[in-house]
Amino acid sequence: MGVVLQMPVVLAALLGGALLTLLLERTLLQRTQTEPGPAAAVDYRHAVDPPNADRWLYPAGPVLALLGVALATVVIPFGPNLIGEDLGIGVFYFIVVVDFVVLGIALGGWGANTPDAVEACYRIVAQLVAYVIPLGLALVGAIMMAESLSTVAIVEAQTGLWYIVLQPIGFVLYLITGLMQAYRAPFLEPFAASIQQGVLHTSGGWQAMAWRLALSGVLFVVAAMGAVLFLGGWQGPLLPGPVWMLLKTYGLMALMLWLGTRVRLRSTAQMLALSWKVLIPVGLVNVLIVGMLILLGVGTA
Amino acid sequence: MILGPVAQIVAFSLCALIAIAGALGMATTMSMFRSGIFLMASFIGVAGLFILLSADLLGLLQVMMYIGGMLVMILFMVLFSHDPGGAMMAGMQLPIIEKFFSLGLLPREQKQDEHDQNEQSGHGGNGHQPMEQNGQDDHAGHADHGDQDAEQNGHDEHAGQNGHGGHEDHEHMDMSMTTPIKKPAAVLAVLVGVILVGLLLLRPAWPIVAATPNPNSAEMVGHLLMGKYMLAFEGAGLLILIGIFGAVFLARAGHFPDERGREARVAVDAQPTAPEAPALQPVADADPPDAAELVGVTEIQTRRNLEKDGRGEQ
Repeated sequence: MGVVLQMPVVLAALLGGALLTLLLERTLLQRTQTEPGPAAAVDYRHAVDPPNADRWLYPAGPVLALLGVALATVVIPFGPNLIGEDLGIGVFYFIVVVDFVVLGIALGGWGANTPDAVEACYRIVAQLVAYVIPLGLALVGAIMMAESLSTVAIVEAQTGLWYIVLQPIGFVLYLITGLMQAYRAPFLEPFAASIQQGVLHTSGGWQAMAWRLALSGVLFVVAAMGAVLFLGGWQGPLLPGPVWMLLKTYGLMALMLWLGTRVRLRSTAQMLALSWKVLIPVGLVNVLIVGMLILLGVGTA
Repeated sequence: MILGPVAQIVAFSLCALIAIAGALGMATTMSMFRSGIFLMASFIGVAGLFILLSADLLGLLQVMMYIGGMLVMILFMVLFSHDPGGAMMAGMQLPIIEKFFSLGLLPREQKQDEHDQNEQSGHGGNGHQPMEQNGQDDHAGHADHGDQDAEQNGHDEHAGQNGHGGHEDHEHMDMSMTTPIKKPAAVLAVLVGVILVGLLLLRPAWPIVAATPNPNSAEMVGHLLMGKYMLAFEGAGLLILIGIFGAVFLARAGHFPDERGREARVAVDAQPTAPEAPALQPVADADPPDAAELVGVTEIQTRRNLEKDGRGEQ
């Protein structure tokens, strides 16, 4: 596939995925009556013009966030040959480009220059420090067993047995850090109601649209990557590959969102404490256990 | 993915432009936040060059390190000193390069009144109105207070909409980065650049190898780190671990409570004391039913004043 053909297909996948994500999230929110966070209603019709905004950084925020999510969609395989580009370092590339969402929220928050938005900028950076290492440790297990960073190779390595069976600790770790990475329920501090949903409050018109797409998209790509790493991606009996992939993605997303609403919201400081005192040690233990399994010859071809 | 020669030149030019423009912006802007972001952009441009050289793992590592690292660095910079340079720079007459990199910054607003903001800080936090509204529209919302009070409150809100910079007294702080050495330094930098490029061009012969780079660069880098360069790799890991230990040791609460400087500073007093009475005399003069709606220290102070007055009369 040439680049000209790849780009619209990937963008269409992102659009469809984000739309379904938004529908699912809205339905769940209506049932649980919890704080909406990044799924809060925004005003698409009216542009917001914060009086003290930085005229460069303020519009750069949503653009960068959307760019990061679109780049992350490229390496997600929806079927045996249905992938934007099978990069040799796919999973690592995924971690890196999702960081652009954090950069976008930081720039947009700082650029809007209202107390709430700047607070969101501070909180998102602290959240990045909290989740990035345990997330990496959760992914390392799957990468070790598949002996590859390519997403396609990781899915194909799970033909016999999904990694959720072999690495339950890694899966739980991914559930928690995935919620942190997607800024959803217990970890929605940068989009808390106490700061008026942070950057969402200071955005309108095309920027609100871009934020909506980026923030729904980031949950979509996080859930899809979870399905690829631990649930065997597109593999499954009877149904065709893409259907399985979508089923697993949205099943995992619903599980994450529902579990997130069962606990009370965490502050950024609690997130950091949880990350460094609990998640990182657990992640190291997970790597150790996976290493021992590999030495015993379990899970490897 | 192999790019054609034209695409390679375009990609190279773009990455080089981002790297150079980022570095230039970093050196010429006075806003510290922007400076950090420009430095990040410069490193991301260099990462693009790495990827063009088929070192995709190194390029992505660079992007990841610098997005996280720069954001945390900017956060600490801003937490320590706010960002007074940006608003200052926007109102200045500058040479063309500085002018370009300061585009979009807004000059600091002139203070509209000389009211003491601290006095009314209990009201300053409620900036929940939509952004388009400015101070004067708030009269309706705060009609309960006296006219004077609402006026003051409106101005407070206006000032309070600044998230960073401008809302503190930075009037006399000089964040200017214009020094007399700037021009010689720029000449020196250009000279070094010319010499380096010249050395590259004048080098007699570049050895050209026909072999294609290994697509699985992660595996090769891993083998090198765990084989040939293991000592340096593990040594760096040990140093970082010691650094983390040091940071935790310095940040923990002291064992000895009387040891000043080690204990965590908490801003809340056990028993808050009200400020001196004269500063709040106008509030105490307002009629009593309104006083119940005031919040914070003002409320306590008002009540005490009323009690005092009441006792005085009896």
